[in-house]
Parts: sequence; C-alpha cells; structure tokens
Amino acid sequence: MEEGRAERRRRTEAPSHTQGGPRRAGVMTDVHRRFLQLLMTHGVLEEWDVRRLQKHCYRVHDRTAAVEELEDFINNINSVLESLYIEIKKGATEDDGRPVYALVNLATTSVSKMASDFAENELDLFRKALELIIDSETGFASSTNILNLVDQLKGKKMRKKEAEQVLQKFVQNKWLIEKEGEFTLHSRAILEMEQYIRETYPDAVKICNICHSLLIQGQSCETCGIRMHLPCVAKYFQSNSEPRCPHCNDYWPHEIPVFDPEKEREAATSRATKRSLRSRQH
Amino acid sequence: MSEQSKDVCDPSSAAEASDSEVNSSPGVPGGLSPPASQAAILAGPETPPLGPTDAPLASPPPQAPSEEGDPKALQQASEEGRAHQAPSVAQPGPAPPAPAQLVQKAHELMWYVLVKDQKRMIIWFPDMVKDVIGSYKKWCRSILRRTSLILARVFGLHLRLTSLHTMEFSLVKALEPEELDRVALSNRMPMTGLLLMILSLIYVKGRGARESAVWNVLRILGLRPWKKHSTFGDVRKLITEEFVQQNYLKYQRVPHAEPPEYEFFWGSRASREITKMQIMEFLARVFKKDPQAWPSRYREALEEARALREADPSAHCPRNSVSED
Repeated sequence: MEEGRAERRRRTEAPSHTQGGPRRAGVMTDVHRRFLQLLMTHGVLEEWDVRRLQKHCYRVHDRTAAVEELEDFINNINSVLESLYIEIKKGATEDDGRPVYALVNLATTSVSKMASDFAENELDLFRKALELIIDSETGFASSTNILNLVDQLKGKKMRKKEAEQVLQKFVQNKWLIEKEGEFTLHSRAILEMEQYIRETYPDAVKICNICHSLLIQGQSCETCGIRMHLPCVAKYFQSNSEPRCPHCNDYWPHEIPVFDPEKEREAATSRATKRSLRSRQH
Repeated sequence: MSEQSKDVCDPSSAAEASDSEVNSSPGVPGGLSPPASQAAILAGPETPPLGPTDAPLASPPPQAPSEEGDPKALQQASEEGRAHQAPSVAQPGPAPPAPAQLVQKAHELMWYVLVKDQKRMIIWFPDMVKDVIGSYKKWCRSILRRTSLILARVFGLHLRLTSLHTMEFSLVKALEPEELDRVALSNRMPMTGLLLMILSLIYVKGRGARESAVWNVLRILGLRPWKKHSTFGDVRKLITEEFVQQNYLKYQRVPHAEPPEYEFFWGSRASREITKMQIMEFLARVFKKDPQAWPSRYREALEEARALREADPSAHCPRNSVSED
C-alpha cells in the first residue's frame, strides 16, 4: 500500500527544492497549514478523525471549496514536506487494521521524537523493551522480563517500581500498548520509528510478506517462517476456503481473521476473540 | 547578555531577523555578526551566511536603540559593535559549512520545535543550541531564520521569542485565530476543557480560586482529588503540578490561612495563549447562556479584545509578509 502511494507521489510532484524556495504554486493553503498544525498537535490520528480534521480545516478557511479526496490531499501536502524530510505517514493498527496517520520525521535520528520527553534512563528502558518486543515471537514482551533489565539501564539508577510507572507513561503517550501484563508497540511507535528499527535491528526485524512493512504482531507460516500482519492475512485470504502460504504453498495453519475497519464495534469484539487466537498461534 | 554564552548567536537578534516582533523588552543586539551576513540575511533565504570572522564580541554598545526589526538599524548596531572591538583581532574561525548542512540543521530545528510544542514543553533557546544547533552555533541566526520561514510557510506558525529575559520561544498560530480547534477533535478536549473550566472559574471570580472552590466545580464533572480518572489519571497531580509546570496555572499558598490552603491563578502561558473572549465563549457554551450573562466580565473581555486589535492590527489578517502564497 505504501509503495503505490510513493510511486504516485513521484509521478505527480514537481522537482523538489532543497532551499526554502517557493513551493508549487497553490498547494500550501491555510487549509493545509491548519491541517498540519492540528495533525502535529495530536500526534497520531485514526482515519475517521483525520477526515473530520480535514473537513474542519476547510470549514474554517475555505467554505466554498470542495473537500479534496483525502489521499490526494495528503499526497499534495507530502510533496511539499518531502524536502523537509518529514511526511504524513499512513499505517494500520496491527491487531485490527484500522488506518492511522501521523506526521513523522524521516531522518533517522534514533528515537528522536521521544528524546525530549524522557530522561536518559527512561529512554534506555524503552530501548530495552523495544529490543525484547522485536526479538519475541509474539511481538509482546512481558512486564517481568522488561523489569528484570532495570539494572542494566544507562543513567540514573531506576527501581522496578519506578520502571513500572515509566512503562505506564509510555502507554499513556502512545508509544506502547499493554495487554494482560505484556507490552507491544503502539501503531504510533511503529509509524514513527519504522526506519530507526529497521536500521538498528536489521537481523531481528520482521517484515510482513504482503505489505513489506515492519511487523511486530502477526501470523507466521510454520513451514517456511514468513510472516503476515493480521489485517494483511484477512485481506489476502479473503473468501478463500483453502488458504495456503504464498511462499511455500503449505496450508496456512491459523484462523483467518475477518475485518471491517469501518465498524469499530465489531473490531472491539473480534479483538477479544483474537486475543485467544493469538495465544494459539505461536 | 553574558559574553560566555552567546558568541555570535543571540536569540533576540536572531528572532528579529526572522520575525519582526519581540514581545518583551526591546532586544539589545548583543551578539552581532559581521555586516556581510547581515546583508546576506536581507538578500533572501537562499544565500548562505558568511561568517569567517566570528570573534566573540565585547559587551554590546550601551546605547543600542530599540530597533524592533528595523534591518538598517540592526546593521548600524552591528557596525558599531565591530568598531568597538576593532582593536581585538578576529580569530580565524572554522570554514562556513555547506549551505546544504545549514538547511539540514534548519529542518532538524523545525522538527525539534514542533515536537516541543506538541508536548507543550517550553522551547528554550539554550536547549535549542545544545540539542540541535551544536557546533553550528555561529550560524544559528541564519538557521533560526530559515526555520522560522519554513514554519510560517508550511505550518502557518510563527516562531516567536516570547521572553528575552528567559530566552523562551513559542509557536504561535499565524492563521486566523480559530478558538479551540481542539474542540473539533474530542480526544483532545478533555485536557483543554478541564483547564478552561479552572481558568474560567478564576476569571469569573476576578481573583484567585481557592482549591476547595475548584474541587466543587470539578465534582460536577465527576472528578475527585482522591479518585483516579480514566482519562485524566491523577487529577490533583495534573492541575497542581503538570498545568503549573506548563505555566497554565499558578498554585500558591493562601497567605495567613490556617489550616494551610492553596489557591489557583492564571499562569503566564494562559495569559499569553487564551483570551478573555475565549473564556466567555467557553462559559456561554458550557452553561448555555449568552456571554453577557456575566456583564462585567464580558465588558472586560471586550476591552481586552479591543486592546489586542489596536496593538496588533495584523493579527486579524491570515496572511503576513512571511507566508507569501
């Protein structure tokens, strides 16, 4: 999905200027500027929120104009942002494929966005948790395992109690998600840190066979080991009664999830059933 | 402006180069770069600054006029500054970096500022230098200027030096003030709503609001000091520590009160970012009344709005000289 967008962008954009020169005439209006401001304010937004935001910006600045199709709207903005090494990136929640958007910095200066929020030992705790999550089979790292690493942290000494609170801070700031005492990456962290993660853990990192993006949670083929995101599985095997691994053609051993990203209530209930599925998958 | 900290990079002159307003006391252009780079700045964003002579300057010329962004006066002052230190030989500085490197630094600074603002943290000039500009300190003025230009053009935000004394910058919307954008997105509303509730209470009272009064109001929203809330978490910590740390509220002991009691006041950041009219509109919405139901407060809000308009007539134009489009 991301390749298509990137290709389209390359075809439509004007040659980018590296100095602060004038952009393509007419692209950046106050509508776009307010959109960017608010997207930045919120960090990460789900698609329905983004659409509301877009409509709000039109209402404020340009009531008469027709609201541009969201994808084109975002592509337009991204063509301006490209020379600044930032972009509005689209991803999906790993458990039920809801599309999310965030303004991300493409320059890989490590966990740059977090750096201003947290102390040195807190950042290191995050890095340790990140490593455990990436190395794990399920994409989850248990609280116990993370807390056991507290002695190895750089910076000021941190007690386990303190570390528990720091982990909660990560959850509140949408860097981690907690489920039953285990932690995985929030879709925001995946969106913003994908590049950093790929470069820092090139051997351990897992990639989805379908969309080729970073994979933290997903299903894997027991024969050849390739992995797929749950939403990617759902899409790929849609209405396929005999799902087979796209790589080795063996029968796909897991239950195929069914998604309708529009209906969130369904997603919420299927999340509960998927939790029990996940424990069987690996 | 102490010699040891600024070199050629002074937040006020850098800010003046980029933005024609300094909100606080007129900036004394302490750290000055040679007129060559001044000319470069006047010429336009494309020209990289030249800074071969980067001798640390002596104390600034005492009679520096209060030039609020008058480039000619700034140039004059810089020439005076150079005359002052003519006897001291300029040390040969490092070669100026490639323009592309300065551009990259400007982009890093832009992101840094955006993130700080997103986290509602103070944008402190020494932090900017330490965390982003680093060894490019001598070109920080041009870096800052380029960053301001980008922020204005792409995001519609002004990077403004809000306090020369504390060297704080803030990001201010350059667009038509659409009060409470966050209302459009409910997931942000809770924090803002809570803060506005307290600010409104203080405003309506006309003086500090006792903590007990604040909790009476918050009880209506179902918030208690001892209960953890699903959205706000520890509410008491939020309002007595976090909002205070962000300068939205002041939390002070009531003098002579026995047993000890505390009261809330508007913080400096609230006074800067939120207008009285916004409070009136908030009250009107929450209580479903006309703002004129609080007549004296409404009058105050009108006066403040008038004063703001007179002080800065350009504030109402969504376009300004920087964001050409």
